[in-house]
Amino acid sequence: MKQLAYYPGCTLYTKSRNLDLCARETAKILGIELKELETWNCCGAIYSTVQDDLANQVAPIRNLIEAQKISNNGESAKLVTLCAACYNVLKRSNRNLFLPENVIYRKRIMNYLETDYDGKTETVHYLEVLKNDVGFNNLKSRVKNSLNGMKIASYYGCLMLRPSDELNFDDPENPMIMDDMFLALGAEPVNYAFKAECCGGYLLVNKPDAAIKCTLIILENIIAAGAECVATTCPLCQYNLDKFQIQTAKFQIPIFYFTQLLGLSLGVDEKILNLENHYVDPKPLLKEKGLLK
Amino acid sequence: MRSKPKRIGVFVCHCGINIAGTVNVPEVVKRLKETTDVIEVIDHQYCCSDPGQNLIKETIKQKNLDSVVVACCSPTLHENTFRKAVASVGVNPYNCEIANIREQCSWVTEDKEKATEKAVRIIKTIIKKVEYDEPLTPISIPVTRKAMVIGAGVAGIQAALDIANAGYPVILLDKNPSIGGHMSQLSETFPTLDCSQCILTPKMVEAKQHPNITLLTYAEVEEISGYIGNFKVKVRQKAKYVDWDKCTGCDICVGKCPKKAKDEFNQGLSERKAIYKMFPQAVPNRVVIHRENCLYFQKGACRLCEKNCPFGAVKFDDQDQFIEFDVGAIVLATGYELLDKKMLGSYGFGKLKNVIDGLQFERILSASGPFMGEVRRPSDGKVPERIVFVQCAGSRDPENAMAYCSKICCMYTAKQAILYKHRVHNGEAIIFYIDVRTGGKGFEEFYKRATDEGVLYIRGKVSKIFEKGDKVIVWGADTLTGKKVEVEADMVVLATAMVPSVTKEFAQMLKITQDEYGWFTEAHPKLRPVETLAGGFFLAGACQGPKDIPDAVAQSSGAASKVIALFASDMLEHLPVIADVNEDLCSGCAVCIDVCPYKARELVIAEDGKKRKVKVIEVLCEGCGACSAACPVGAAQQKNFKDEQIQEMVKAGLE
Repeated sequence: MKQLAYYPGCTLYTKSRNLDLCARETAKILGIELKELETWNCCGAIYSTVQDDLANQVAPIRNLIEAQKISNNGESAKLVTLCAACYNVLKRSNRNLFLPENVIYRKRIMNYLETDYDGKTETVHYLEVLKNDVGFNNLKSRVKNSLNGMKIASYYGCLMLRPSDELNFDDPENPMIMDDMFLALGAEPVNYAFKAECCGGYLLVNKPDAAIKCTLIILENIIAAGAECVATTCPLCQYNLDKFQIQTAKFQIPIFYFTQLLGLSLGVDEKILNLENHYVDPKPLLKEKGLLK
Repeated sequence: MRSKPKRIGVFVCHCGINIAGTVNVPEVVKRLKETTDVIEVIDHQYCCSDPGQNLIKETIKQKNLDSVVVACCSPTLHENTFRKAVASVGVNPYNCEIANIREQCSWVTEDKEKATEKAVRIIKTIIKKVEYDEPLTPISIPVTRKAMVIGAGVAGIQAALDIANAGYPVILLDKNPSIGGHMSQLSETFPTLDCSQCILTPKMVEAKQHPNITLLTYAEVEEISGYIGNFKVKVRQKAKYVDWDKCTGCDICVGKCPKKAKDEFNQGLSERKAIYKMFPQAVPNRVVIHRENCLYFQKGACRLCEKNCPFGAVKFDDQDQFIEFDVGAIVLATGYELLDKKMLGSYGFGKLKNVIDGLQFERILSASGPFMGEVRRPSDGKVPERIVFVQCAGSRDPENAMAYCSKICCMYTAKQAILYKHRVHNGEAIIFYIDVRTGGKGFEEFYKRATDEGVLYIRGKVSKIFEKGDKVIVWGADTLTGKKVEVEADMVVLATAMVPSVTKEFAQMLKITQDEYGWFTEAHPKLRPVETLAGGFFLAGACQGPKDIPDAVAQSSGAASKVIALFASDMLEHLPVIADVNEDLCSGCAVCIDVCPYKARELVIAEDGKKRKVKVIEVLCEGCGACSAACPVGAAQQKNFKDEQIQEMVKAGLE
């Protein structure tokens, strides 16, 4: 079994248990062991653009160094993440640390961590593992329960895509990687205009009205495009899109993590899918589609 | 080797303070006099001026000089000037050389002492060069006084007419079945609002009827070989499946044809038949069968057009034909396309039916367009009550698309908004703009007219366009009030960026350089705007960069005049600074043949019948020196750049 270093991040250990467990389980089915870092810490949560903000950079860099302790068959380390925010912070911190103008800054961080680091840990998203290491064609042949033409709106949000020249994840205006995966799983990806729009993010804490406005526009567009459910990668997007539907008593569309739907089609046990962990109950839709008894 | 010492004169130019500001010119003259055995060293304020040139000429006569070194600016500027001057008093022009002490010395050296020392060394190397220079005579080559114009839009047509009117035969080629290009698709033209077809069709007809013009439509250039004055162009005449000598353009076949396909002329907004005429005024007024659309070709049955043609013109066994032409000059008038809307992610990827581009809206406005000139929207044919126009869609946007300004969009958007308001009186036209650029005759007045007629201009970029019900929602910013704007429109027109229509491969085949976006590069951005660095190729219209109609036409006439000037003489002079082969040394290994980029070298059998050796085809050689560098035995030598000569020059520079 192939082994890849895995960084779950804090939310996947608490609110988003389903995102985490489904990823580990589906990876196992596909022949990859997501080996969790022995000791990991907060990713930093938000990428700090303050250049002298050492503490904020130390956190992600320490995780990247930690990843090199897990072997990747002799190749330089790859660190798999699932949460869009972790992906964003880890990848950008690594890039920033090795910009030519940051030599002194890098030295200070290394002094602080009392170690040296070559910058060769590559942060990859689980979707990229599925696309590049597993391959969507291969994935197609592993499907146990086809998603049966279920109309899925893949919602990417912003953190995985932007700034695009730093992350280089997918087309920031028209990301397709999740859509392509769902196509392989037998679903019908829905095209809509707000794939990459902001869900409101942390505004839910101090300006909930603004965040609600953001999510409602997205959901309205998704529903008008004919989608039956939404898939996300980011715990915050999932929370906002899910919770605000209940809070505003508008719409009733299930918001999944992509790993849950992947797990469903690969035959992962229902307990692991954690379908209870949602505000909008997704079970009726899955039953209607014959994906759940 | 030198038979007797040359009589060399050196002239050092001050170039005002350009050279004399950093180089101590009198000191240079002094040192040269002390350390070299040239006949004369003189300095002058401006050697390129008339008095300067006269000084050189008089000195040559007085001192009986046979070689001259002018220490001045780059040879790209005045080499020609001085060579002509010395030639007028009987010195072989190729024995006059430039020592560049401006661009390569005074402009790039701050320290006066060092600059002076460097200038002396540069001049000494060039003195050494002229010591070894041989007198050369230009090579004369014949010129085929016949031109080819590639692309028959308004630019190509104008260039062809101008050349033809000067009395030279022209082949006017286009890839489409009809000439006319994008201009034939336009409704009315800014800033005068005259009908595009009405002013273009007379020119199209004139081109067809002109005795010196041969039209070659539905044809593409496959290969170009040769050189200025003597090109060979291989053209693929695409199979039309209709005998154009028999066809009268009566359109009976079009009526009978059962198969429909997207109409390219209407930018995909309507359908045409598999057998079709591009547009009613097409020149030549003939039909072609599109093989990929035709039922007979795809499924093996139908042939209704053949059965119904009263003239027996349909020819299903037609095939692509290759025709070769000998021409002396080639005008590139390949034009532009609009940026694919797929590139514009936030504007709906070209997937939203009621989000169209400028050319599509031109077709909607056109009387021969998909709605016969009534403004209707593509999705349901409803008359749009509010249209949003987005300028700079993909232009001035280095992050997502093109960094340049497409130049025509400000004016054609204003025109389209005016025309829309003329046709739909209560219609609302809203234009989002970054800047309104009205640099052209009558342009600013035209923009004023648009605002006077009630077109609303909002300064700001559009961030997102999406569908909501049957409306198109436009999100943008009004940067004058600093507010976010949301407009619910019935239709959106994107002024998408102009992009070149030629492919990289085509440009590479022609060996014409392109800029980073694919526009052809002119020989000099200011002083040689219609020529290319490849001799014999000239640029007309938008293939060189975004242009409106008047600019395209003006440039085409410019290109045509260059062709006419080239044809004024039946012989052409070719630079004699080319490669040579020392036959005694050449082993016939042929390494040089592979490295020659101009196919100017060939293997021949020597007189003794055994030994192979290489010969230079003089007219093809451009003197790049690749063969001299590659030759393992030093047999390939560049005239006046021989190995021995260069070694001596290096020594002189390092002394």
